[in-house]
This record gives sequence, C-alpha cells and structure tokens, in this order.
Amino acid sequence: MSDLYFTTDLFSQFDRLHQQMATLFGGYPSSIRSDRLSAFPQINIGTTDDTIDIVAFAPGIDPKQLEVSIDKGLLTIAGERAAVTPDASDEAARHYARERFSGAFRRVIELPQHADPDKVEARYVNGCLCITVGKRESSRPRAITVQ
Amino acid sequence: MNDTTQLARRDSNSINRAEPERTEQRVTLSPAVDVIENAHGVTLWADLPGVPRENLEIRVQDGNLRIEASANIPTREGLRLQHAEVRVPHFARSFTLGPEFDTSKIEAKLQDGVLKLSIPRREEARPRRIEVAVD
Repeated sequence: MSDLYFTTDLFSQFDRLHQQMATLFGGYPSSIRSDRLSAFPQINIGTTDDTIDIVAFAPGIDPKQLEVSIDKGLLTIAGERAAVTPDASDEAARHYARERFSGAFRRVIELPQHADPDKVEARYVNGCLCITVGKRESSRPRAITVQ
Repeated sequence: MNDTTQLARRDSNSINRAEPERTEQRVTLSPAVDVIENAHGVTLWADLPGVPRENLEIRVQDGNLRIEASANIPTREGLRLQHAEVRVPHFARSFTLGPEFDTSKIEAKLQDGVLKLSIPRREEARPRRIEVAVD
C-alpha cells in the first residue's frame, strides 16, 4: 500500500461519525477550515526530508484548465470541472444521479516557512494533481557532530 | 430506468465495509457517480482518482454490476503523511441492472481518473412508437 494513505481504518470510522453528526446538526460551518468531506478537490499532504508533497484528487479535468500558483506562502489550486449533460436534442434523457462535483473550485494551502517557492513541480496523472514543493537548503535535517 | 432498475444510494464519501464473503476485510470508498439514461441505454460516470487501468475491475453477474478499483499514486521514499482527506485508496460500488440492459455490450473507458460506462438497452427493450392502423 502506498504511504500516502493511513493504513488504519480508525480514522475512517471517525469520518463516518463526523459525517453523521454533520447531517444531524445541519450544514452550518463550524470552522474557517474547509470541511474535508465536501471540499473539491480533496487533498493529501505529506513531507519528506527535502520536499513537501501535495496530492489533489481532481479527476476528469483538462490539465490546461488547472491553475496552480504560489503567492506569499500560499499555494492555490483552482480550476473548473464541467458537468456531464445529456444532449439538448435528446428528450428521453434523464438524470438519475448527480453526485460528482461540477463547477469552479479553489483550494488554498498555507506552506510552511521553509518551503521554497522557486522549486515547485506539478503533474497531472490519472486524475490526481501531484505537486512537489522543495524545502530550503537551510531546513534540511543534518546531524551535528559532537566535539 | 424503471422499477426493475435501482440505483444504489450513496452517502457522500460513505465508507463501506467490504462484503462479508471476502476473507480479507477491506475498507472502501464509494465513488461519486453521475447517471444519465436515454433511449439507447444508461451512461454512468464514476470518479476514481489515481486509479490506473490495470487496477480497475468491473464485473457483471446476475444483473449486478460491481466496480472495484485501487488508486496507485507513486510516492517518494520516506514520505510522512501530514494531512489526509482521502484516507483509503480503495473504491467499490455496486449497481443493480434491470433485465432490459444488454450486459454483453457494456463499454468502459477510463480517462484522467473518470470511468465512463455505457450500458446499452437490449434492442427489443428500446422504446418505440406503435403505429395505429386506421381502417
């Protein structure tokens, strides 16, 4: 299994509880942070010794429509996903389910101080936007020799 | 779709237990789907981010269509997860198909993490107009 996921399902149990509570108490936002269950695209973030790796789960988007920018330590992912629509001429067409997100989206991630905005790579693979941000040289872990 | 065809209900991002007959208990996510029906059949789109073609399995058995997929995202050595909104890399969802659909002619296409399934109606089940003869 990929390291990008937790291997325990304890957290997903919490997610389910959280979701049930949210449906019980209505849709009032309880915090300024985005709700991870409804946001699009969903994002996982991990770090290695010299990079910060961000994966945005954004399937079905033309990579040219994806806008990734860094300004004052804020990484922004924005774009738009078109809804699937039946042909207007097809009178018999009916929608049975419309669960997939459609429309414009924007997500902002605050990068830590030691992120280097000049070392950013982004690629779109199988509907996932993978962004790698380098860390500044000075923040790399190093062993200190005891004299 | 008529009364014989039901769409499985989905809570957004609901987490399902794997079916009990499976030996290994696996937690899966329900992928979001869009379903449109027209005179020719049903078209289904499912979001499967990070799923390569070889990790996608679609099975039809006894009028039951099951989609199973695993995401595979290459990660760097020594990655430590800091924040996760998607916690499980497995997707699974089942749909019931009515007998009016021709399961031997289902077409599947996976592009950019979106699966598009075209399920045609049997020729004899397509709606048609019946001319009324006038004497």
